[in-house]
Amino acid sequence: MKSSRMVVLEVSGILMAVITALLCGFVVIFLTSSEPFAAVSALFLDPLSSWFNVGTILNKAVPLILTGLALSVVFQSGVFSMGAEGQLYIGSFLGALTAVYLPGLSPWIHLPLVVLAALIGGALFGAIPGLLKAYLNANEIVTTLMLNFVAILLTSYFVNNQFKSHGGGYAKMENIDKNILLAKIIPGTSAHAGILIALAAVVVVYLLLYKTSIGYELRMVGKNGHFARYGGIATRKIIVISVMISGALAGLAGIVEILGIQQTFKQNFSAGLGFDGIIIALLARNHPVGVLVAGLFYAYIQVGAQTMQYGSDMPREVAVIIQVMLVLLVTAQAIFTFIKQRYAKTEQKAVK
Amino acid sequence: MPILLEMKDIHKVYPNGTAANKGVDLTVHEGEIHALVGENGAGKSTLMKILFGLEAPTNGTIEYKGQPIRFSGPKDAIQQGMGMVHQHFMLSPSLSVSENIVLGNEPKKGPFSMFRDRAKEYREVEHLVATYGLKVNLQAKVETIPVGQKQRVEILKVLYRGAKLIILDEPTAVLTPQETDELFDSIQALVSEGHTIIFITHKLREVMRISNRITVLRAGKSIATLQTKDTNQEEISRLMVGREVLFRVNKIPADPKEVVLSVRDLEALDDKGTKALQGISFDIRSGEVLGIAGVEGNGQTELVETITGLRKAVAGNILYQGKELLGASVAEIRRMKVGHIPEDRQTSGASLTSTIADNLILDHYRNPEFKRGIFLNHNKIKQFAQTMMQAYDVRAQNEEIMAGALSGGNLQKVVVARELSKNPKLLIASQPTRGVDIGAIEFIHREIIKRRDGGAAVMVVSAELSEVMALSDRIAVLYNGEIVALLDNTPDLTEQEIGYYMLGIKKQEQEAVR
Repeated sequence: MKSSRMVVLEVSGILMAVITALLCGFVVIFLTSSEPFAAVSALFLDPLSSWFNVGTILNKAVPLILTGLALSVVFQSGVFSMGAEGQLYIGSFLGALTAVYLPGLSPWIHLPLVVLAALIGGALFGAIPGLLKAYLNANEIVTTLMLNFVAILLTSYFVNNQFKSHGGGYAKMENIDKNILLAKIIPGTSAHAGILIALAAVVVVYLLLYKTSIGYELRMVGKNGHFARYGGIATRKIIVISVMISGALAGLAGIVEILGIQQTFKQNFSAGLGFDGIIIALLARNHPVGVLVAGLFYAYIQVGAQTMQYGSDMPREVAVIIQVMLVLLVTAQAIFTFIKQRYAKTEQKAVK
Repeated sequence: MPILLEMKDIHKVYPNGTAANKGVDLTVHEGEIHALVGENGAGKSTLMKILFGLEAPTNGTIEYKGQPIRFSGPKDAIQQGMGMVHQHFMLSPSLSVSENIVLGNEPKKGPFSMFRDRAKEYREVEHLVATYGLKVNLQAKVETIPVGQKQRVEILKVLYRGAKLIILDEPTAVLTPQETDELFDSIQALVSEGHTIIFITHKLREVMRISNRITVLRAGKSIATLQTKDTNQEEISRLMVGREVLFRVNKIPADPKEVVLSVRDLEALDDKGTKALQGISFDIRSGEVLGIAGVEGNGQTELVETITGLRKAVAGNILYQGKELLGASVAEIRRMKVGHIPEDRQTSGASLTSTIADNLILDHYRNPEFKRGIFLNHNKIKQFAQTMMQAYDVRAQNEEIMAGALSGGNLQKVVVARELSKNPKLLIASQPTRGVDIGAIEFIHREIIKRRDGGAAVMVVSAELSEVMALSDRIAVLYNGEIVALLDNTPDLTEQEIGYYMLGIKKQEQEAVR
């Protein structure tokens, strides 16, 4: 929906940030490693050197893409929700409950039910900060961050008590029936069908945002709330809807991670997927296709960190440096464009 | 008078290929008031940026006091005795007036000039104020003083830095008529003290009133330099636009039919909770234009917002084609063919970071005609946007351009196109041509009258009395949230007459207003 020149500008800006972040990683490697070339090659080439590693990249990318989409939707409506992590826990918890405690159903009915439960759980938990924002003007950054704790600790409490598995000491639910776990799709790798769900979600979110009237309303509310109100768009309703859609996607991310990798709901299993999604959405400038690319790239760096740890004397934390630099640069860039726009606007007004 | 500044054959081509100045000559004599006029995008701003050292010219020479100069930044320009007063004030609101005036050039004292010399500061600033008669309260914080005084502070700031040549950029855009008069007195005082003024504006009446000479820019070129006493508004505007401009809107007498909008005893509060509308009643009929005149802030904004559903009323009725509008949502009112050109196109009227197409379909995206199944029909939207852009003369490469990249006039045409595209039965036009160039004003006025002749009821709210008088068939004057006069716009109605009502000096009997 933008002119091609602007897209080129924006993409090249993000590429610059990515390259700079990688260069920073190189500098650290060259300053500290005794075998820098081996480390760099292990970081960048090894992830692609085997089908097994590619499969791992895909698996790691799945929840990142889904949470990235979750945050893109809500950011596009101008709501700065930080709540994907909490919505992910509540959604996947409900999904896992449905998976474990509704046995005996045909997988064709059971699996959709599980996914639906996760979507609804995430959406309802998202509705809370949405309603607070829309009708009481409560700052969504504060409410969502606080509600994350509620979600994490609440689910943690349940899997330590009422819903704790009987075997073993881990705080987790009973294992989910193998019939409804996601199948492996590439032989010889661990890659599961979650990537197909993620791809489908990218398409659905793209269509939703850019091809439907609700997507139009959502974007208009985000771009200029005054304009939306003047045009008769029910801005409050749209805010609640966008946070709910975001919550549903976060819940989906959680349940796909469980059905694909974890095999059941474990305490603290996400470890920040909802926050990684913020970075993905920022990198992608809230565009679904960008989310796909950014999610894959981010997963690639994470796998590279592991292969580097095995293949050289560098610890995996170097990848964290690269990730942090990326966040810093991309955010700075976003702020920079914002300032530039503001400046251009006042310039335009100032001298006619 | 000797020549103070001579800019010759200035060219400026930006790296992206836009030629903003294509041969501009500007000669300013010492001690004159020189008006620089031109439509948006004519190159006024670029020329002033070059003069001030903010941009380097691609070609051309600048001579100041007989010496060729080339500034590398505004600092050089200030040192040479130039000063610029921007349209948007650059003041620190939490500092006092006098602190703002000396900011960055504070008198110092003590070892290593460590301390501010407050006594000297006051002495100097007070002397300045006394010399030019620019009355301001030096102790007051800038955030507490009115707009007109803020502008005086800006001028004092420039004078404090020793400016002899003062550039005023659209100085009257934010002022009330009274403040404008005071500003013009100050300008005269500056000139009599030996200063030279460059006055950038698009208000031709002010040009005629204050300037000695006028340079007209059009499409990056200087078209003419005129003696003000030898010219008139028609000639200047013809030079600016490049063709004849109709100052009087050509219109046939109105043929009012049935009542479309009937407002009765309407009361509403402003954002602070004080009563902004104190029982307003009027009718607008199909085929007539009712103008709302008044000094800004007398309830116009609240009146428009209440009718369009953006603000709740406290009491009264608004009947539109026999149906009560109060309590209806904005969306419902818009669907009932009520068009609303809002007073601020930058915040309410358009989404600047969205495309022109997205801005145009605000009323249509739910319309089945614009959909294919559950999805928006992009071909249809594109086609619609292109048709609209052509019909309303929106000048942009295509419909995918960001609305924020459009000039004020073109953006306003997008707003007007959208509001007229649903064939409104009632059109509320609030400040329809504010900050828009002459060509676009003429176009928008013509479109409004076309709708009236097509049977729409039209309400025009404008801070420009001349606009209200040009468009309206009847004029209601708002003062302090009340309609103090309801006048037929006959040829013998004068601006002075309306002015008395606007200032609250005269008031009609309640019966006449009803």
